[in-house]
Amino acid sequence: MTNQRYIIGSLIHHWRINLAVALGVAAATAVLTGALLIGDSMRASLRHVTLDRLGDIDEILVNDRFFRAELVTELQSQPEFRSDYKLAEPAIVFPQGTIETRGEQDDTEVARAANILVLGISDTFWNLDSLDAQPVALGDGEVILNQALAADLNVKVGDLVTLRLPKELQVNADSPLGSEESTDRVEGIPDLKVAAIIQNKGLGRFALRPNQTTSRNAYVRLDLLQDELDQDDQCNAILVSSKQGDNPPDEDASKRLRSWLKPTLSDLGLEINPVSIQYKAEGATESTVVLKYYSLSSDRMMLDDDSVNVALRAFEKYSPQQVFTYISTALMKVSDSQHIEDGSEGLVEAKRTVADDGEFVPYSIVTGIDSQTVLGPLVNEDNQSPLPVLGDNEVVINQWLADDLKLSVGDWLRLDYFEPETTHGRTVERYVDLKVSSIVPLTRPRRPFGRRSAEFQERPYLTNDPDLTPVVEGVTDKASIDDWDVPFGMVYQPRGQDDDYWNNHRTTPKAFVSLATSKLLWGSRFGSVTSIRIAATEGIDEQKLSAQLAGEINRSGLAMGFTFIAVKRDGIKASSGATPFDALFLSLSFFVIAAALMLIVLLFRLGVEQRSTQLGLLLAVGLNRKHVGKLLLGEAAIVAGIGSLLGVILGIGYAKLMLLGLTTWWVDAISTAFLEFAWTGRSLVLGFIIGLAMATGTIYWAVRKTKSFSIRGLLAGQATGHSSDTKNKPSRRATIICYALFVVGTLLAVLAAIPSIGSGMGAEGQAGAFVGAGAMVLTGMLMILRWRLRQATNKESSHFGASPLIWLANKNSQRNPGRSTITIGVMASAAFLIVSMSSFQLSPTENGRGGFKLVGFSSMPFYKDLSSPDVQDDVLGDDAALLESGTILSLRYKPGDDASCSNVYQVSQPRVLGVTSRLIEYYDDASHTSFTFAGNAELKDSGSNPWHVLSTDQPHKGTEDDPLPVVIDKNTAMFSLKLFGGIGESFDVTYEDGHTIHFSVAGLLANSVLQGSLLISETDFKQAFPHISGYRYFLVDPGQADGNQVSNFLEDRLGEQGLDLQDADQLLADLLAVQNTYIKAFQSLGALGLLLGTFGLTTVLIRNVFERRAELALLRATGFNSKRISNMILLENLLLLAGGMATGIIAALFAVLPHILFADATPPATDLIIMLLVVLVVGIISGLIAVRYTLRAPVIAALRGD
Amino acid sequence: MTKLIVSDLHKEYPTRGEPLKVLRGISLELTAGKNLAIVGPSGSGKSTLLHILGTLDRPTSGTVTLDDNDPFELDDQELAAYRNNNIGFIFQDHHLLPQMSVLENVLIPALADGKPGSDLRERALNLLERVGLSDRLHHRPSELSGGERERVAVARSLILSPSLLVADEPTGNLDRTNARQVAELLLDIQRTDNMMLVVVTHSGEIADMLDSKSEIDDGKLI
Repeated sequence: MTNQRYIIGSLIHHWRINLAVALGVAAATAVLTGALLIGDSMRASLRHVTLDRLGDIDEILVNDRFFRAELVTELQSQPEFRSDYKLAEPAIVFPQGTIETRGEQDDTEVARAANILVLGISDTFWNLDSLDAQPVALGDGEVILNQALAADLNVKVGDLVTLRLPKELQVNADSPLGSEESTDRVEGIPDLKVAAIIQNKGLGRFALRPNQTTSRNAYVRLDLLQDELDQDDQCNAILVSSKQGDNPPDEDASKRLRSWLKPTLSDLGLEINPVSIQYKAEGATESTVVLKYYSLSSDRMMLDDDSVNVALRAFEKYSPQQVFTYISTALMKVSDSQHIEDGSEGLVEAKRTVADDGEFVPYSIVTGIDSQTVLGPLVNEDNQSPLPVLGDNEVVINQWLADDLKLSVGDWLRLDYFEPETTHGRTVERYVDLKVSSIVPLTRPRRPFGRRSAEFQERPYLTNDPDLTPVVEGVTDKASIDDWDVPFGMVYQPRGQDDDYWNNHRTTPKAFVSLATSKLLWGSRFGSVTSIRIAATEGIDEQKLSAQLAGEINRSGLAMGFTFIAVKRDGIKASSGATPFDALFLSLSFFVIAAALMLIVLLFRLGVEQRSTQLGLLLAVGLNRKHVGKLLLGEAAIVAGIGSLLGVILGIGYAKLMLLGLTTWWVDAISTAFLEFAWTGRSLVLGFIIGLAMATGTIYWAVRKTKSFSIRGLLAGQATGHSSDTKNKPSRRATIICYALFVVGTLLAVLAAIPSIGSGMGAEGQAGAFVGAGAMVLTGMLMILRWRLRQATNKESSHFGASPLIWLANKNSQRNPGRSTITIGVMASAAFLIVSMSSFQLSPTENGRGGFKLVGFSSMPFYKDLSSPDVQDDVLGDDAALLESGTILSLRYKPGDDASCSNVYQVSQPRVLGVTSRLIEYYDDASHTSFTFAGNAELKDSGSNPWHVLSTDQPHKGTEDDPLPVVIDKNTAMFSLKLFGGIGESFDVTYEDGHTIHFSVAGLLANSVLQGSLLISETDFKQAFPHISGYRYFLVDPGQADGNQVSNFLEDRLGEQGLDLQDADQLLADLLAVQNTYIKAFQSLGALGLLLGTFGLTTVLIRNVFERRAELALLRATGFNSKRISNMILLENLLLLAGGMATGIIAALFAVLPHILFADATPPATDLIIMLLVVLVVGIISGLIAVRYTLRAPVIAALRGD
Repeated sequence: MTKLIVSDLHKEYPTRGEPLKVLRGISLELTAGKNLAIVGPSGSGKSTLLHILGTLDRPTSGTVTLDDNDPFELDDQELAAYRNNNIGFIFQDHHLLPQMSVLENVLIPALADGKPGSDLRERALNLLERVGLSDRLHHRPSELSGGERERVAVARSLILSPSLLVADEPTGNLDRTNARQVAELLLDIQRTDNMMLVVVTHSGEIADMLDSKSEIDDGKLI
């Protein structure tokens, strides 16, 4: 006889109860393992989607400028390239295209899809598909669509579509010198024939960013796009493959890849040109060079700050000179009495006229420069030494201007100019008064500009330099000022002398200010330098300078758009998911697990009770309690082991069931049904171990409880503790706790219900308070119930009441107060959880959409202020009246990861919205329905609207010390970005170009339509993303007009930009559906747990009946018929069941009722009531089983106690 | 010499009203090789006294010493070991483990010290032979008659050679013949092994077979 023998013997002998316990353990383990497998499936599916959509592509470079396709060939020809990678493919990639098709019958019917991904590819692109799919080869004028896009457009093979793409222009549209006209910035490619519609598989679902929803893609030939966009032999993207399947190269390889890429200055949009100022004296055969220098300039007119800094370092030893040339709309003389002091600026409020303002010179070039040796250009006439740096309010003018405006040294020159950045597309004109400190001479050329440059016969001065002005398409290439093609309106008619100046001097500056003054007046996020000059000295030439600059760019790590994104590696990383689904489903299955554990305890205790005499004997013969406990635990561990093993197998089924739920009933939680079952050994083993540990732990706890059982009691078959139930009254402490729970719970519910306090908590905070209040009340009620049952047990009563049967059933249910309380507690907790969770169900509110009915974003930016009636008139024509009572607010948009709850991938670069001051001011008006803030940073004026946390005059740097204040939807902050610190928490994001921006949470929105984005001030946006111009995100309130009509109308009129408007309510509902669906899942799983609880109830009932079998037999012997006994037992069951549910529901009312009364929440839905009814029915059925069991017991044997 | 001394033993149970006094100053002595029958009406406190003697229950006041040791000064762990080594129990409801064989049931007390050695197995076989069950070693309790089950319980109580044997209505469930046989067996072994035996019984016939007899009524020995 050994312990093992005892355990095995006992295990087999008590197989029925052990099987029941094992099934309980299996249930708990199955749920647990299932949750882990759901996590596996989610990760594997996301990984599969990632690998599938990227095919063999490991790294992608997408630049916002075009570069030579030859660069890709050069990259591949790098000797080391093939050690890590196999293939590089040039492409043109536009993540923001628009496609439209017209109806076959009615060509005014336009189907349009915006924000589609357009890929200009060569035939070899499909070699990168891991599925080895070979779609139809693309012909010229053809397009391939993926199914998702074709379905959206409702087109078939052979249909014609028009593609609209952003066109690269030299000057940013937010600059007054950049065109805002969509026709200039959008390239339409009409009549493309749909050659094929490919499945949403492999590269047919190619996407740049991780998202489980299928990207809508259009594929066209690379050379077609090159032709249409006038980018011959150019591309803007490189796709790189290592052909290593799902094992992408590591970070070091990525770094090496970037180092092998050697873009030339032209690829970077930079150029170094030699410039000579020269003349050919009369009779001379050779030209005399007055000055030769090299000029570094950008094809985007301005050199950005990074490029300037790198160039200044690269050319440090050559004393580089910075030049900032700008355009003045008008120059005029002002008297001493008229001028404004100290170079401060004024606003040009009206068009200049000679009558009001005197003679003025329109459209002149002004250059900011600090003169220096050799390069000048402002030099002392006598000794050619450079003039000292000009003061802030000083200006040097050339003789031509002096003559034209009759200006002398000491006079004041008024200089009109555009602010360097437009606001909502509006150009603002200012003026500054500067004192003429010097007048420099100007040499008139012998031959004016024509097809060739002007030719001088007399020695030109250093200020005779039109190359101080960068090349500006539409201006510097025009023969006459009249021909200028500029985005701003040419309100002044050039005079004869202006044409004359243009003919002779072209872009030669008429005035010079210091570099500092020019930067102050005209510097912007686009830069504050137009060129850098290096004097030509012996030993330097363009090649050498280019090499030095390229070398410095490499050393500095300045990406200039040439950054590879490790899409596959990042995608695989992101496929670990934004939400740990295993943990999520563990929490969703909380009640099932809890119910299973309670069931285990219940069954185990029943097992102990069944063998109480055995335990008593073991203790009586001298085995200590520890030893007996070990024997029990040993047996239980085997049972738990078997149960856990079974649970692991059942867990697979459970996971599959949950996945079925996620892909059907709960698909709103994950947006699209992409999940497939997957498993890992780790999850199975972990599920087994945790299940085993959990079950063994639970049993251990139950075993510990047996320590209080008296040996005598056990020998007499009573598995109860020493403590008797003779205490009629609860302890003082318990009474205080109970009443405190009631009072605090009620108080909490009332406080949360008071609108002024409740709204401060936010919707979920309020719901949390209600649920917390309900939970307290529930605990209090259960405590009272237990005491009542105890008291009733000890109270003698011979009053049968109206129904002796009910009295009897009631007395019977009080027979074991502890057991009855557990049963009621399980039922009550489950009913409470299920019902109270419904208070977390969210419905779209007007606050959630900030009072706007339509939300949308466009493929391409709109640069003008759509809220302005003038712009509306311009864009919408006569129909603008439709929007008379409406409002449109525009926001800037930086593409990025969708950080809303509907994207299950991990988010690394969330998209950003730039909030305009107009939006902030809009909400200053208290009559406008505002977004609800769950919290916000302290405001200077506590009464002002919370959006002012983004108000700023000066942009923040976005550094660790000066982070950008950001407003985020609370769900986005918590679930996607894992920001749990609330207001003031800092985080950083490294964007694709490698620069890191630090943010600080300044506001948290509650359940808003702005979910998924970081919202920063427009000022900060422009600083952080200087190259992004225009507005792509729109909030539209149609006012009195019909929302659908306005939506259709705007989408039609702004079709060029690919405006896609959505019903804000629907969008918000879709976003909230994620949370609502999880709550539904929780409730459904809770109901499953409740069903498990009813099995416990049945077991308790059967046990009760078993213990009373002699008594019941006696009742039968004394004349109770079967029906009466059945009714009695059924009533007992119903009392417990109804008691539990009523207790739970009453407590839940604390959670739900205030929500319904004060928060306009909808009452619990019918499915909830059905859920509870099902539980009630199952409970009754379980009672019937107990009845059946009772009636089967033979009377005589039961009376004998056998 | 082994000696059991019980002095002024009281036992009360709390109730909703006044405490229920079950034992009221019981005192008695017993030496090795002696036995004692305790008789009395139902509810007189016989079983309570026996349970206290067997250390299954603690007295409210008074002392019990066995070989000058007061077991109730021991903690629960020590008390279990003490009981295991010094006291043998025989119950009216024999409490045999249905899942175990006859031999295994006898060896149950040996589990307290871990795996029983071969000497204990030999002793179990010997005891079963003495109680006349050597041919039923591997039978299950359900396959035995009432008398046989009680004899197994006797053998089990003796397996660790206790100095005190306590029997609670050991023949209560047996017919007269079987009851007498079991009683004779019990006395024979007790005398042979020089143990002390306390038997609680309703049966005057059994009580008369023992060396001495005490009657208990309303918690007092009379």
